[in-house]
Amino acid sequence: MIVQLVVAGLALGSMYGLVALGYHITWVTSRTMNFAQGTAVMAGAVVAYGCYVGLGWPLVPSLVVTLLALALYGVLIERIAVYRFFRAASPAWLLSTIACGIIAENAAMLAFGKDARAFPSALTQKPILIGGAGFYPQELLIPAVGLVLVGVVQLFYHRTSYGKQLKAVAWNAEAASLMGIHIPRAVMFAYGLSAVLAAVAGVLLAPVLNVSATMGTIIGLKAFAVAIIGGLTSAPGIIVAGLGYGVTESLVAGYLSTGAREIVGFGLVILVLIVRPWGLLGARPARRV
Amino acid sequence: MRHAVIVLLALTVGFAVPPAAQAGEAIKLGMAAAISGGSAASGEAIKRGLTIAMDEVNARGGLLGGRKLELVIRDDEGNPAKGVTIARELIEREKVVATFGGLHSTVALAQVPVWHELKSPYMGVWAAGTNITRNGQNPNYVFRVSANDDYADKLLVRYTVDTLKKTKPGLLIENTAWGQSNEAGLTKWLGEKKVKNVGIEKFNWNDPDMSPQLLRLKNAGADVVILVGNAPEAAQVVKSQAKIGWTVPMVSHWGVSGGRFAELTGELSDGVVFFQTYSFFGKQNERGQHVLKALKDKYGVKGPEEITAPVGVANAYDGLHLVALAIQQAGSTEGPKVRDALENLKVEYRGLIKNYKPPFTSEQHDALTDEDYVLVVWRGGKILPLAMK
Repeated sequence: MIVQLVVAGLALGSMYGLVALGYHITWVTSRTMNFAQGTAVMAGAVVAYGCYVGLGWPLVPSLVVTLLALALYGVLIERIAVYRFFRAASPAWLLSTIACGIIAENAAMLAFGKDARAFPSALTQKPILIGGAGFYPQELLIPAVGLVLVGVVQLFYHRTSYGKQLKAVAWNAEAASLMGIHIPRAVMFAYGLSAVLAAVAGVLLAPVLNVSATMGTIIGLKAFAVAIIGGLTSAPGIIVAGLGYGVTESLVAGYLSTGAREIVGFGLVILVLIVRPWGLLGARPARRV
Repeated sequence: MRHAVIVLLALTVGFAVPPAAQAGEAIKLGMAAAISGGSAASGEAIKRGLTIAMDEVNARGGLLGGRKLELVIRDDEGNPAKGVTIARELIEREKVVATFGGLHSTVALAQVPVWHELKSPYMGVWAAGTNITRNGQNPNYVFRVSANDDYADKLLVRYTVDTLKKTKPGLLIENTAWGQSNEAGLTKWLGEKKVKNVGIEKFNWNDPDMSPQLLRLKNAGADVVILVGNAPEAAQVVKSQAKIGWTVPMVSHWGVSGGRFAELTGELSDGVVFFQTYSFFGKQNERGQHVLKALKDKYGVKGPEEITAPVGVANAYDGLHLVALAIQQAGSTEGPKVRDALENLKVEYRGLIKNYKPPFTSEQHDALTDEDYVLVVWRGGKILPLAMK
């Protein structure tokens, strides 16, 4: 039983982590984030469903189109709902991104209906049994892809020139700007990347969770909790928190009750906010004396 | 000024004419159901059943000396507040004689006081909440040709205990008012059979993984699962059940008949047993054949496997005929008189679902009971009748 619960928890947790990484990426470059990150998860799944099932395209072109479409979605959100507020240092992006999310969700309902649809995958047909616990291969694929992607994003930030530029923006936007880094483009890129990561989560989860216009809401919310617990400024912290959150949730549901799951999960958020407001591995803000 | 006087005069004369004298004027019937959103298919099915029956009545020359029936449709959006508003609108503005309801028990329960206050009969054709008909009102304006959770739970328990011979049922129930109503019903009827559940597990709408709940029931030694939920969550339940490699039978309330249960689960849906008020599969009586033909001619439905939400069609069809007979017997379109006629229907109605003799009494406002429900099973993506015993 414990193996079963831990694997299910890792699968969902790695997706929380992936979506939460999206919050992190835009936060460090612009001190803003897309509060409707969950709708990017949903949009990814819906677009992929449209291409793969609706239009009957093969898997690979469907995925390519989905990721491109979602990169565009992220950039659009940034242009419409974030950019001017970011420039004006106004917190209005908070509301405008939520508004964009609600619009996207309702647009999806109109286009797609409110019903959940099955997303066919060869990896959810037959469960495999390991040590008395059963999994769909997809559930093992999810954390694998999730962790690889996190690694790729980390490499990009630490090893490539553009990644280093983005980091520079995160450290000190003014100085980075003076060094010739194009800040608006950097922010746009961050939003695009963040939506793409959410879309990957959406596509991976679609065969397990089914596709629906509302599938992203809870994931987006929990990912935000994960980002807070892990520390908005720390990518490794977020991944650890994501996996931890997923496993905790699963164990609480399995050994206590499903009713207690959200109570414990969001209780943890409050606890972290009180004890370590900067998150588990987040950078402790320097105190000015 | 002169115009105003004429208008006033006309209005006075108009009101002064008793309703019976307005021969030829259509008799309006209301339909208040979800026709948009996730449950839109249920509203469409109800509309089809009502329309087919209404066309039959009108083809025979209508009611009360040639007055045709006319359907006025309003969308409750699955929202109780909206349901109350449209109930009032249908009666007060559209002057409907009776109203047919939709899928949501929450909406139907919220509307109960309106029917009583405005003295207008309501015919439920889907929502199964026990207290919709057993609402404590006297006289009771609420009637139903559909399932009632209490009878449904009785049937599920009888099948589980008597037919399957299972004595350790695990209950898996959605965390809503509908789930609660069934938790009470199942517990009560299991108690009658001196059987105790080994566990009651809950789930929320949109829960992704049901394996924790199923594992707990499994560890508690359950030999059968009784499921109360709608299609999306029920799909996650059977997927999770397959995943943990647990093969006990699944007996379900009728939530799995709606939505896209078979599509969401593929072959995993095979063997899930639930019930319907009617099945268009198998041999049909004369009315069944007629309804199938009308569905084909009017809506392009090729056969029983293409009828989405068959219970909505069947219940609405019989419900409308019963209301029509009551109006005829009452000789009036006044709410209290039609209500009395429904409660004391003199003619036997040989209906689609059964012969109603009589459909309602002053104590019994559910025309169908567990004796009338049909046990069915998902097999190869189709709902097939299950031979009981």
